[in-house]
Amino acid sequence: MITIGIDAGAATTKGVILLDREIAGYRIVSTAFDFLSTAETLFEELLATSDLRQEDVVKICATGYGRMMVTFANATVSEITAHAKGVNFFFPEVRGIIDVGGQDSKVIVVEEGKVIDFLMNDKCAAGTGKFLEYTAKALEVRIEDLGSLALGSVHPAAITSICTVFAESEVISLRAQGIPRADIAAGLIVNIAQRIVIMARRMGLKEPIAFVGGVAKNSGMRVELEKELDVTLSVPSEPQITGALGAALAAQKPEKRSSA
Amino acid sequence: MSSPLSSLKYFEDMYSIRLTQLEAERKRGVKIIGTLCLFVPDEIIFSAGADRIILCGGKADTIPRAEEFLPRNICPLVKSSFGAIIDACCGGQIACSHVSLVDIIVAEATCDAKKKTYELLPEYRKTYVLDLPQRPNTPEAKDYFLSELKKFGMFMDTVTGHSITTDALRREIQSANETRKLLHRLYDLRKRDPPPIRGSEILRVMQRQFFLSPAQFQEGIRQICDELETRVLDIESKPRILLSGCPNAAGNTKVPDIIEQKGGIIVAEESCTGTRAFWDLVDEEKDPWVGLAERYLEIPCACMTPNEQRITRIKDLVTDYNVDGVVYSTLQFCHPYAIEKFRVQHALKKMKVPMLAIESDYGDADIEQIGIRVEAFLEMLS
Repeated sequence: MITIGIDAGAATTKGVILLDREIAGYRIVSTAFDFLSTAETLFEELLATSDLRQEDVVKICATGYGRMMVTFANATVSEITAHAKGVNFFFPEVRGIIDVGGQDSKVIVVEEGKVIDFLMNDKCAAGTGKFLEYTAKALEVRIEDLGSLALGSVHPAAITSICTVFAESEVISLRAQGIPRADIAAGLIVNIAQRIVIMARRMGLKEPIAFVGGVAKNSGMRVELEKELDVTLSVPSEPQITGALGAALAAQKPEKRSSA
Repeated sequence: MSSPLSSLKYFEDMYSIRLTQLEAERKRGVKIIGTLCLFVPDEIIFSAGADRIILCGGKADTIPRAEEFLPRNICPLVKSSFGAIIDACCGGQIACSHVSLVDIIVAEATCDAKKKTYELLPEYRKTYVLDLPQRPNTPEAKDYFLSELKKFGMFMDTVTGHSITTDALRREIQSANETRKLLHRLYDLRKRDPPPIRGSEILRVMQRQFFLSPAQFQEGIRQICDELETRVLDIESKPRILLSGCPNAAGNTKVPDIIEQKGGIIVAEESCTGTRAFWDLVDEEKDPWVGLAERYLEIPCACMTPNEQRITRIKDLVTDYNVDGVVYSTLQFCHPYAIEKFRVQHALKKMKVPMLAIESDYGDADIEQIGIRVEAFLEMLS
């Protein structure tokens, strides 16, 4: 059975083709203004790369912030359930998930792929990928390079603002004080990691814990979280696709489209 | 689809009838009291021959007016209510006309945001503040509250020129108890599976409890109960939700609406626009003043400490209403309920009942974010 999962995220749109229990292909693209056209293009690219025709696909399930806009999907699932299913595919033994995406971050307690409890960040950008993206700009560093730059720091700068906009001003004033770039980068990582650690402790996450979402690609963040939580995090080879993968897995089960 | 309830239309129709009634009373010289909390006993107001209307604000439109005076970071309910009062008293047109019907505001010393805001009210409307003990489970607290209620009674005597007689007070206690019993009947019907009515519909009714006269409200509740006795709601099996936390003042139905749009069904509300407004009855055998003092101090408000009775109430509701999950809803910057969340969460964890915490305000900006949390929570429950 071939199913497709589409995770229409705030920053990126992800798609996974699942052939029974095997990933037959995946794509990650930037989300354009229009969620639907982004998803449509992604869908066609997915089919092209895996040499499949539209008729071969039995079911499409959408998740993510823009899931309701993916009108060609037959079903939707919340990203919390989707991540739980997707992570379970990679790491069946996992009991806790930390997902840090572009617009939100979440901590999920799972048991055999089933959601037991979850907590999401408050509605602002604090503790999300957006925070890093914004502040990396003030640091004039590419977001991809922020993590490795931070790993070179011995004395991370103290960045205390929770608000993303205030943190940006803080970065500029640290630059004005001549603080090395690596220390500021490390300070930013410590700042966001603290937000996530608080959520993880509040939920009482137990090992093994998986770390997914776009920010899981940031090596500095992973090291900082592991240090603060005193755990080893399991990170899938492609941590950005667990939501889409979970949606594709959900599509294999008979479920109806949400009424909203 | 189940047929729509005609009794719900009663409440819509009564809105303008009640406003006309209040205007006519005012012309006759009846004093109209504006209230902002469950702790101000209706019984005392009515037995003095006055009428009352609730002034709690649930709409965002008057908040900018309030923020000309108040800090931004206090709860939207206080800002909305205060904004409506200053707007109405300065000839503004933003708020509904309720405030202009009010002669005196009877406020109460509950949370900090309310207490300190009440200090600004006399500038705009005559204001009386009823004091409350904060540790209700002590004999001293009861004595003190009894003296506060009697003092309030004497104040009402001077306002209306009628002395409150014991007979009048007993009559009003009986009437208020009748309302409470009717609401128990209504809530008992919601124990059915599936319940015969949605929580978002009940909430809109509960928001009228202190707006309508007791007789008008009782008539409406009787009609709903009669209709619901034989009604079967045509819905599939849905997770049964207990909504617990801050009040939903009239105009604010955001969180309950989202819960039911996403496929949950609210079977009870542990809030001031729910069980806290009617759960306990006044003991009619006792001295009426003592009965009132005891009953009102039992309201499990988060301003009280410790507030064990609220935890017990929530646990009982979860069991009695066969609740699958609790949505703990707080208004932004409401510290008492936000902090008490920790203890509620802890108690529910012990019962293995999942809880979702939502903090929101009167804006629409977070509808999507709340939606995704609710959706995931409902998926988790089913």
